[in-house]
Amino acid sequence: CCVVSSCFRAGEEEQQAQSKKALKKQQKEAEKAAKKAEKQAKLVSVRQETPVVFDVFSLRLCLSLSWIEADRPLVRVQDLTPEKAEQQIWVRARIHTSRAKGKQCFLVLRHQQFTVQALLAVGDRASKQMVKFAANLTKESIIDVEAVVKKVEQKIESCSQQDVELHVERIFVISQSEARLPLQLEDAVRPEGEGDEVRKVDLIIINLHRNLNTTTSQAIFRLQSGICQLFRDTLINKGFVEIQTPKIISAASEGGANVFTVSYFKTSAYLAQSPQLYKQMCICADFDKVFCVGPVFRAEDSNTHRHLTEFVGLDIEMAFNYHYHEVMDSITDTMVQIFKGLCDRFQTEIQTVNKQYPSEPFKFLEPTLRLEYKEAVAMLKAAGVEMGDEEDLSTPNEKLLGRLVKEKYDTDFYVLDKYPLAVRPFYTMPDPNNPKYSNSYDMFMRGEEILSGAQRIHDAQLLTERAMHHSIDLEKIKAYIDSFRYGAPPHAGGGIGLERVTMLYLGLHNVRQTSMFPRDPKRLTP
Amino acid sequence: MPMYKVKPVSPGDIKIDLPTCMYKLPNTHAQGMNCGEHALQNGEVDPALKALEERQDEVLRRLYELKATVDGLAKTVTTPDADLDASTLSRGPAESVFRGTADLDSLLGKDLGALRDIVINANPAHPPLSLLVLHALLCQRYQVLSSVHVHSSVSVVPPPLLSCLGPRHIDSYARQRFQLGFTLIWKDVSKLQMKFNTQSMCPIEGEANVARFLFRLLSAEPQDPLAATQMDCWIDTAVFQLAEVGSKEHAAVLRSLNSALGCSPWLLGQEFSLADIVCACCVLRAGQTTSAAANIQRWLKSCQNLGHFDCVNPLLQ
Repeated sequence: CCVVSSCFRAGEEEQQAQSKKALKKQQKEAEKAAKKAEKQAKLVSVRQETPVVFDVFSLRLCLSLSWIEADRPLVRVQDLTPEKAEQQIWVRARIHTSRAKGKQCFLVLRHQQFTVQALLAVGDRASKQMVKFAANLTKESIIDVEAVVKKVEQKIESCSQQDVELHVERIFVISQSEARLPLQLEDAVRPEGEGDEVRKVDLIIINLHRNLNTTTSQAIFRLQSGICQLFRDTLINKGFVEIQTPKIISAASEGGANVFTVSYFKTSAYLAQSPQLYKQMCICADFDKVFCVGPVFRAEDSNTHRHLTEFVGLDIEMAFNYHYHEVMDSITDTMVQIFKGLCDRFQTEIQTVNKQYPSEPFKFLEPTLRLEYKEAVAMLKAAGVEMGDEEDLSTPNEKLLGRLVKEKYDTDFYVLDKYPLAVRPFYTMPDPNNPKYSNSYDMFMRGEEILSGAQRIHDAQLLTERAMHHSIDLEKIKAYIDSFRYGAPPHAGGGIGLERVTMLYLGLHNVRQTSMFPRDPKRLTP
Repeated sequence: MPMYKVKPVSPGDIKIDLPTCMYKLPNTHAQGMNCGEHALQNGEVDPALKALEERQDEVLRRLYELKATVDGLAKTVTTPDADLDASTLSRGPAESVFRGTADLDSLLGKDLGALRDIVINANPAHPPLSLLVLHALLCQRYQVLSSVHVHSSVSVVPPPLLSCLGPRHIDSYARQRFQLGFTLIWKDVSKLQMKFNTQSMCPIEGEANVARFLFRLLSAEPQDPLAATQMDCWIDTAVFQLAEVGSKEHAAVLRSLNSALGCSPWLLGQEFSLADIVCACCVLRAGQTTSAAANIQRWLKSCQNLGHFDCVNPLLQ
């Protein structure tokens, strides 16, 4: 009977325990309800403040995002500086990385080349659910955050904005990214090792839309845009006129071998290899100084680091008064102004690219160094190369010459004047003082050729002779020769490739890195 | 009692003749062989051997002679004026400066068809005045293609420095017509540097050394060693001690200049030389020439009158 009583007592205790448990459960539920009520109240108050915001954090705010016109200004990541300390601002950026640690979540937000650290901690502004939500957001998603800018004592070395961090109060997702990325961003940004080059380039191009987002790509293409703009500005200041030339033409301008054919209604036409013909026609029409920026198509089956089948050509043509050196000086001065402009205005971009692809800064002389072909041959012979006096320079010889010039004059950019006539196209004007040479020139950056130019023959008779000497069918170039029959001023010019110039200025090694959507014999997409 | 018995296969008492000698060679000393080679065993000496001995003696003797000479030289070097009597040095007629003909091929090496371009990298903060004077002198002797460039490491260069080599030559479009190139590049360098033939020459540093190189191209070096040494001495004094204005060294050098110029119109005597060029440029660069001693002022005036210093004046303002 003691057992019974103890059981009974146990039962009682159990009951008591039960009720204790039940009490606890009730308490918990009450708490939860209270919290929920609080939350609801908060929501209501938030809703009352900004009737459009649903929540403190939310997924997929609204796909189109165009159903409100908010006055809310968004601050760019690159403008987050200590001056904005203690300000509450909105930022739109991508999630570069996110890392959760207990009650805190560290995010690195990125916009173009700029990154900033953001901190989300459980507290009176953020709930645990919110921190968990932030930690689970996929990388590369675009988000809006409302945060307070805080100064930091220790510099944050891994971000571009090193003196501040954001303390996040609200976070919304504008566009979510899929979880599995085709190319990890770190891989795309890591400096290249040996043997990696070809495969890496392929990988990067396949995932181009992803790769264009890296800080380095942003920097490269901003710089390229700068080159184009400086080219235009400098020439317009010199009194040049920009022209547009057709790209579908009836006859191959440079030679029949490397030209793309397109079907043109019942016949076929060609894609322009250069705007040569049309530039010259404009000079004959007394425009005096013209330039054009447009695509150039070369069907060369060369799979090298510096050839593309389609690239952007920046071409110049100019009439001169007495000597073609006037044109050559004008072109070299334009190049020097471009280099100076890049150095002055694009230092951030140059440094960003250098971090991933280190290289020597680009050096040049003003006025530009001009050497003659004979001197170059003598320099090469002194260095042990065997070549004929009228032989063209092979690519390794050009590179060696570039190194010799760099050693003696400390410049990465120079002009080689007076090439032998035999290795130049038929429309090149021969040198009046020496029939074996011509009034033509090439310009080199870091030992690689970027421009091939010359004084053009402006006399129809001489042009016909030279064409016959080169066994060119006169019928095909009849229109071209005709344009010089009715008075043509003496003129000269040349053209550069935008991608190649960008590549060589930055010291990169593959022109596909500086072409947004490169085209070569093996690549047609994206 | 053995278990098995086998008949012996071979008798155990065969005597085997074991060899004691591994290899056998014919006896060279045996009688009856050709003794022609051994005729000299009787104390006569083989003529070939004799010749060898004589050669060895000869070599040893020459060695001793050399050793004696070197010892003698060592003595003369360590004890000054031991073997050198300065009074016996011929004071030959001082070579008339700037009037000798020069053969660039012998001075600078064979012409390979390239313009012989002398490249000088100078800092625009310290323009090398003496080199500008020498450039003017070179232009009188040879056809010189001069050009001035500004390197990308320097942002702004004052206009007088851009035109310091004079107006552009009419024929400058045809580089091959010139014998010598003089390319001055204003660059951010700590020390003035000259590059000529990068394959066979290292760069020359320092204004004084480049000045000596350019002066030699004029074939106007003083022929007698005394004058040459004095010239070098003046150049070094100017470059190292005339640098700081107002220092005691500076004043001391000016005093010695004054006294030297009291005896002769130029520092080396009757002829204008590189010492005058370098010293005058250092004095002019230091400034305060109006307060200098009488002899120095007269000397500076003479330098100006020669006309070579015209290029320097616009840079002194």
